[in-house]
Amino acid sequence: MTAERGAEDRAPELVPLSAIFATDFVQILVPVTTANTMAEVAAAVAHHVEGKRVRALPYDKIVIYQGERLPGDLTVAAAGIKPLDHVTVEYDIPERS
Amino acid sequence: MALLKREEWQGFVRDVDWSYRYVDDDAVFPEWLSGTGKVPREAWLAWEESYKVSYPEYVATQREKESAAYAVKAALQRSSAFDSLTEGWKSATKMHFGGVALVEYAAVLAELKMARFGLNGSWRNMATFGALDELRHAAITTFFGHEFIGKDPQYDWTQKTFHTNDWVAISLRNLFDAMMISSNVVDIAIELPLTFETGFTNLQFVALAADALASGDVNFANMISSIQTDEARHSQQGGPTLEILVEHDPVRAQWVVDKAFWGSARAFAALTGPAMDYYTPLEHRKQSYREFMEEWIIDQFIHTIEDYGLKKPWYWDEFMRGLDIWHHGLHMGLWFWRPTLWWRPMAAVSPDERAWLVEKYPNWEKVYGDKWDVIIDNVNANNMEATLPETLPWLCSTCHLPACNATQSRDGTWRVRDGRIYHFCTNACRQIFWKDRDNVNHETLIDRFLAGQIQPMDVGGILGYMGLTPDVMGDDPDYEAWTKDYAGRPAEGIAAPASAGTAQS
Repeated sequence: MTAERGAEDRAPELVPLSAIFATDFVQILVPVTTANTMAEVAAAVAHHVEGKRVRALPYDKIVIYQGERLPGDLTVAAAGIKPLDHVTVEYDIPERS
Repeated sequence: MALLKREEWQGFVRDVDWSYRYVDDDAVFPEWLSGTGKVPREAWLAWEESYKVSYPEYVATQREKESAAYAVKAALQRSSAFDSLTEGWKSATKMHFGGVALVEYAAVLAELKMARFGLNGSWRNMATFGALDELRHAAITTFFGHEFIGKDPQYDWTQKTFHTNDWVAISLRNLFDAMMISSNVVDIAIELPLTFETGFTNLQFVALAADALASGDVNFANMISSIQTDEARHSQQGGPTLEILVEHDPVRAQWVVDKAFWGSARAFAALTGPAMDYYTPLEHRKQSYREFMEEWIIDQFIHTIEDYGLKKPWYWDEFMRGLDIWHHGLHMGLWFWRPTLWWRPMAAVSPDERAWLVEKYPNWEKVYGDKWDVIIDNVNANNMEATLPETLPWLCSTCHLPACNATQSRDGTWRVRDGRIYHFCTNACRQIFWKDRDNVNHETLIDRFLAGQIQPMDVGGILGYMGLTPDVMGDDPDYEAWTKDYAGRPAEGIAAPASAGTAQS
């Protein structure tokens, strides 16, 4: 009997996402893989928009999925993000005191 | 033998009908084509058009219209009028020719369906004239567009568009196939003549004819005015049909009107909105798209449906909010994905044009100005690759247009799980999809891409799949016109050229 393999043990699988970046006007198709981290997903989404339609800001970027902010080192597989899911990528702008 | 007077014969030729001896009425008018639904069969005996016409009268009038339209065309063909038109206006006409020519042909099929399966003889009679009308419209639109192919290959898309998988063509096919091809005749009469023609072609034909004249395009104004006079007659098939349906099944009547109005409004936002508020030269704009919509669509159409005892559609507030955003977002989308178009979309966001936009749409600068500024700064930095797409916009599973409504929720909740996930551009698109999902029959370009139907899976593959060739692909006709006034200003946070790495901040 072999132990069931977790998502992290499998070869990366393609996960096409519907994504929107910060204040952009349109959702876009962004392909990522199950092995990508949230930091990589944020960068992949930003690539199509940042400095092209939305002015780049000097802050980290975060992925928001189903209303939850996800840690940057979490993978797509571990976050449970499925193909065709929607993610929002926002700048992590510090709140002013 | 003396000829009978018109009033002596018209009463019995306009609604000739038969009593069937060898087949049942159901076999002649099957439900899936005739669509009587909850309406008793005999109720259709009351169907009566308000403006009656005989075949000789029809032919005489149409002959005059055709002669007049082609006489003007022939006269203008020898002039240099075309060469003096602006690129913006030419784009509006290319969009119209490609987007409309074969929709007119689809309308021939819809009219023919009503001419065969309409539930009253006079309805079938009117639809026969309607089919002849639409045949004329398909022909005149294709012919007028064809004239310019020698001057500009983008006009070839007059005839070509609907034979391609361009995303605009897919969106329009999806709308009009549902409205004209897969519907029964009761639904067709309410969706096409009543909602689309009475409601929307007023805007496209009357308002655009005015813009055409202002832009110096007498030929185009002449063509669409000639078409519009037919619409006014055959669109009256909707009224009597709606009157009978409302009496027996008001819920269905309201749903059919609501669905057709929404689909038409989305398509018009994509095509007529940018043509009016961006492509028409500033000095020739008489009203904004919103103002045109308010005057020609909203006031008139709501008045019409309330006269029949119907209410405003359930999504009315969302629709009204959309008048300030839909077409601006779609214009930006059309421009950014310009290689996918068969026209040359002009950004039209110079300081003067932006001042006009803000006057007409007070939130425009706040919602769209910042994004155009980044694009402008990239153009002025000669970083053109940052202004071109490397992926697809997400396309709505109902209207097939880019999901680009800036004020809508971004939490991904607008979807249904029906074995898979769907995304929609608006609440009403989601609601219509859910209620009408058995009727949805086109895959979006995103669906096709992800299913591997588009190869290679890159921008080149996508453009090839859409039928775009380098000689036709859209590009802005004059970048300097809308960027020069911003040249030299500080430009932080724009993309670095691809070879230089990531964005500057």
